[in-house]
Amino acid sequence: MNWELWSTGFQSRKNYTSWESSIVARMWTVICVAVLTAMNSGVALADSPVDGAQLSQVLNRENGELGVKVKPVSLVDDTAYLRRVSVDLIGRIPNHDEIQEYLTWPAAERRSKLIDRLMADQRFVDRWTTFLADMLRLRSNTPGGSAALAFVHKAIEEDMPYDEMASRFISANGKAGAVPEVAYVLGDNADPMALAGVTSQVFMGIRISCAECHNHPFDKWTREDFYGFAAYFGKTRRYENDFTNTVYTQEATTSSVLWPPEGEGEASARKQVLPKFLIDLIDSKANPEFIARLETTRKNERDLIEASLAGAQKDSSIDDLLGDAADNVINSARGKKKSSFDVATEARRERDSIDLAADMRSQSELRRDLAALIASPRNRYFAWNFVNRTWAELVGRGIVEPVDDFSDANVPSHPKTLDFLADEFVAGGFQIKPLVKMIVTSEPYQRGQAVEFEPAEQEELRAAFLAAPARRMLGEVLYDSILTAGHLFEYKHPQGANTKTVSERIRVAVPREGEEGAVTPQLLASADGGAAMKGQMSAAMAAQRTGFNLESGIELNFDDVLKQAKEKATATVVVEKMEVKSSEELEAERMQMDSRNQRRFRYVYKTIERTFDDNPIFGSAFRMASPAAPQHFVRIFGQTDRTQVGVPRDHSPSMRQALMMLNGKMTHEASRVGPYEPMHNLLVGKQADLDEAVRRAYLEILTRDPVDDEVDLAKSIVTDGDSTLEGMADLRWVLLNSNEFRYLP
Amino acid sequence: MTGCHDYHVTRRAMMGASAATLLGFSVRELLAAKGRDHEATADNVILFWNGGGMTHLDTWDPKPGRPTQGEFEPINTSVPGMQISEIFPEFAKQMHNVALIRSIAGTQGAHGRATYQLQTSYNQTSNVVHPGFGSVVVHEKEAVGDLPAYVTISGQAPRSSYLGQSCSAYFVGSPGDKDPYLAFSEGISEVRGNKRLETLAKFNGRFAGKTSSLELESTKTSVTDAVRLMRSPALKAFELDHIPLTQFERYGDTPFGRGCLVAKQLVETGVRFVQVNRGGFDTHSNNFEAMRNHGEVMDPALASLMQDLDESGQLKKTLVVMLSEFGRTPKINKDGGRDHYPGVFSCFMAGGGIKGGQVIGSSDEDGYKPKDRPVQVPDLHATLCHALGINPEKEVMTPLQRPMKLIDGGKAVMELFG
Repeated sequence: MNWELWSTGFQSRKNYTSWESSIVARMWTVICVAVLTAMNSGVALADSPVDGAQLSQVLNRENGELGVKVKPVSLVDDTAYLRRVSVDLIGRIPNHDEIQEYLTWPAAERRSKLIDRLMADQRFVDRWTTFLADMLRLRSNTPGGSAALAFVHKAIEEDMPYDEMASRFISANGKAGAVPEVAYVLGDNADPMALAGVTSQVFMGIRISCAECHNHPFDKWTREDFYGFAAYFGKTRRYENDFTNTVYTQEATTSSVLWPPEGEGEASARKQVLPKFLIDLIDSKANPEFIARLETTRKNERDLIEASLAGAQKDSSIDDLLGDAADNVINSARGKKKSSFDVATEARRERDSIDLAADMRSQSELRRDLAALIASPRNRYFAWNFVNRTWAELVGRGIVEPVDDFSDANVPSHPKTLDFLADEFVAGGFQIKPLVKMIVTSEPYQRGQAVEFEPAEQEELRAAFLAAPARRMLGEVLYDSILTAGHLFEYKHPQGANTKTVSERIRVAVPREGEEGAVTPQLLASADGGAAMKGQMSAAMAAQRTGFNLESGIELNFDDVLKQAKEKATATVVVEKMEVKSSEELEAERMQMDSRNQRRFRYVYKTIERTFDDNPIFGSAFRMASPAAPQHFVRIFGQTDRTQVGVPRDHSPSMRQALMMLNGKMTHEASRVGPYEPMHNLLVGKQADLDEAVRRAYLEILTRDPVDDEVDLAKSIVTDGDSTLEGMADLRWVLLNSNEFRYLP
Repeated sequence: MTGCHDYHVTRRAMMGASAATLLGFSVRELLAAKGRDHEATADNVILFWNGGGMTHLDTWDPKPGRPTQGEFEPINTSVPGMQISEIFPEFAKQMHNVALIRSIAGTQGAHGRATYQLQTSYNQTSNVVHPGFGSVVVHEKEAVGDLPAYVTISGQAPRSSYLGQSCSAYFVGSPGDKDPYLAFSEGISEVRGNKRLETLAKFNGRFAGKTSSLELESTKTSVTDAVRLMRSPALKAFELDHIPLTQFERYGDTPFGRGCLVAKQLVETGVRFVQVNRGGFDTHSNNFEAMRNHGEVMDPALASLMQDLDESGQLKKTLVVMLSEFGRTPKINKDGGRDHYPGVFSCFMAGGGIKGGQVIGSSDEDGYKPKDRPVQVPDLHATLCHALGINPEKEVMTPLQRPMKLIDGGKAVMELFG
């Protein structure tokens, strides 16, 4: 393990034998998790600002130095802030109760209280897993992809430092699924050339892939630089075991990265390239303040743990520590019993790997060196890249833009602000949550949009982070926000209240003459779109079966995925094998089945009637296997397929988006009023109150009260309906489809 | 001006185009009015994409009497001396309209990379995604009528990438079935649905001053386009309800046959590019049983489609192409299958200016290597560009300001045009 990497104070102890150092490293596994848990429980370990006031000052000062003259747009009001920050931190709009409670808090502490609550929400973990999954290009449909998603989820939940997370992804070796992090290397088929380009761009924002074939046209990178960097991946090989159906990586003794490049010069003259890192790190003799602070942060972490350990495990041997007893140690160290980052299993697994001398499971030495260089606190690009990506995700525009293109030709707009963010991130121990918190509590995040200005001035304001750019919700956020506003996470109609009979065209196979066989009716179109009905069917399969079920998806239970992966590698393999099928392959299989059937059968059409209870519920888009099927709602609204590096989400409108929102099952069901909703009683019965109903609709959907003539307009829509329930459905449909719903305030 | 519904640029020219249709100009007249089309021999494309890597030896390039022949015999076609596999008895009668290329020299033997190259002309790299050829076509050719310019049937089309989401394919899962997203939700009448749309426009109008988004105008356009499509009489082209049973039978009454029928209706309505997908060609085992099945499904559909397009005159302007990732090994493996083989393989092209009844190139006697006139994969795309009057050398800027050629080099196979 490379826990040494993130523990800078520990790096000096390199004179251990390899056995000793691995034991010590594993002790650190135990210790560090306990530290993190302690941090979770509110013990401040890092000397880092937890609010954005200082960040705002730094930016304002820098704007002054840059000669920015325009005056900033004022901060958004409390409800707009609530909507904006809920979307960014928990991936959905706030619901009615949350809005009401928020408004009861004293104005002075409203925003900070809200942040604390949202940061502790389980949905924060879901939302930011998607951020990292996009960045790392994790895909459920690749070997070990789901396990990797689950791993990131767990890592965010447990506050694993980002440098540690990155190191693990860069250096992992082993079996897909069983070692979740290895999905990163397997995602590019362990191809050194692909991984070189991807790794520098993803973790450092440095684009070198052009230099694979030619010296970089706009940058300093040469082909020699590229090959030197690729050499870190040169010994890693991808293997497939057909017998056990496993995919894994392993280190070979020779490198596949050779110079001169293929086809240029005699084959016999090609030599293995020695690994060479791209950039210089901050000199080890220099000791900038943020590194000193990082050392303090990590020393505090260690002290706390050592104190806990001293009390908890006086008599424990190393074996106990690494074995089952580790659980107890951790639990007592953090003072509660809760499943942890599965340290015990982790430790056991590592112990086993030594006993078995199974080099298949060990890390790549070359890539461990690489991880140490990339994730070093002395590598400015590593921290710049991550803080800039996080800033861009929240503020809507990077200090360097595009976020993965740091180069002499594309310098940061606000280098000092970027440095400040990076320094604080490193000094605080590479913790993601405090970074997010610092940004969302800063002024640039809270600014309003410069709507009343001319386009040129708007741009000037946005470039100086003195006005917020217009941002559309991510596809997943839009999906979950429709579910939130429309009460579709839970049943809103009584069972059986929406029983419907639909006619369906069914194709019935009849054996051709001279052929025998079972006759299987085949459903051509299905009227229900509910997730619950689909069970385990993936969206891709469902889409192909019925043609058009493009709004529900297969749910990933992250805990189960990880548990399975760790407990029994073979169980995972089955899952992965299913997942690894692309939609094209599924399509091909279906076609093949079809063609076999077609030879033996001919088809006749029948219309049948089918009765079902149309009371659909949906699960969160953040828990779906991702990326979703190509025509799925979240894909149409910008989720990428995560195969290519540096392809940002496309937030531009399209006709297909319009069709899905105007006519989709989800918008329709969200608009309908169910008896289990509070809205119902405001429309029918003794307590009916049209004003209150309209107000509620606006709060639930737009997180604000109706203003001016909106109340009258809305009331007329409701009363114009066939019934007030239907009229309210019309109003809600309009609000859900409105631009105000999908663009952030 | 491009044919894509590009929401970032003015759409006045396109609105003009659809207005012209309404004024009673036919599709053909409209296209003739566009000077840039003067070199084009084709207006539309039907691309059959056979996923999995279709064997060349058991289809277009039979090897009678050789150890690699396999189970099928060659049969004569409507063109003397031009033989194809026995699994296409009806399609053989259409070969006077069809040109075969038997000397494609592929380089990619894995599904992903080969699919990528055959569908984009480019080799897959890690730093840029190239748009599928259909996206290139609709980017370059004016859209006609209300329907999406690019439609994919029974499977996914490649991505539009830097040409924009608006150049991506419109997806038809199951040909002939109604797309529920093209009509108001169940229980919402036309009157009520239209009233909702009116109210929505009013609400969005009020909101326009409350955000600085440059996208609002294009959101409006997307809704306008969606509604126009929902209301378009041309939507009938997606439906098969009106097709007489005898016609279904002629096409084989299979999903593939229905795909062909929909494709025919779409190109007649002016849709530029229709991709009809079919999988199951990855015949590592039982190659011959599988290919016999494929023949039974594909033969009546392809033959009827060619015949109908020919009789209506549409074939003159419609390029019909069948592509697959690669061929399959001449050597038959122990499971009676053939494995991936990019070394040499075949395809067919017909219509849209292609001179039928000819064979371009040949493979060696066992089907291992091109014997003469090797054709590179990008040559195929250059050929399609030539027919469509698209300049393959044209550069487009990616959003990251990297200039990219529409096609990765390649030289059109000029013999095809007679």
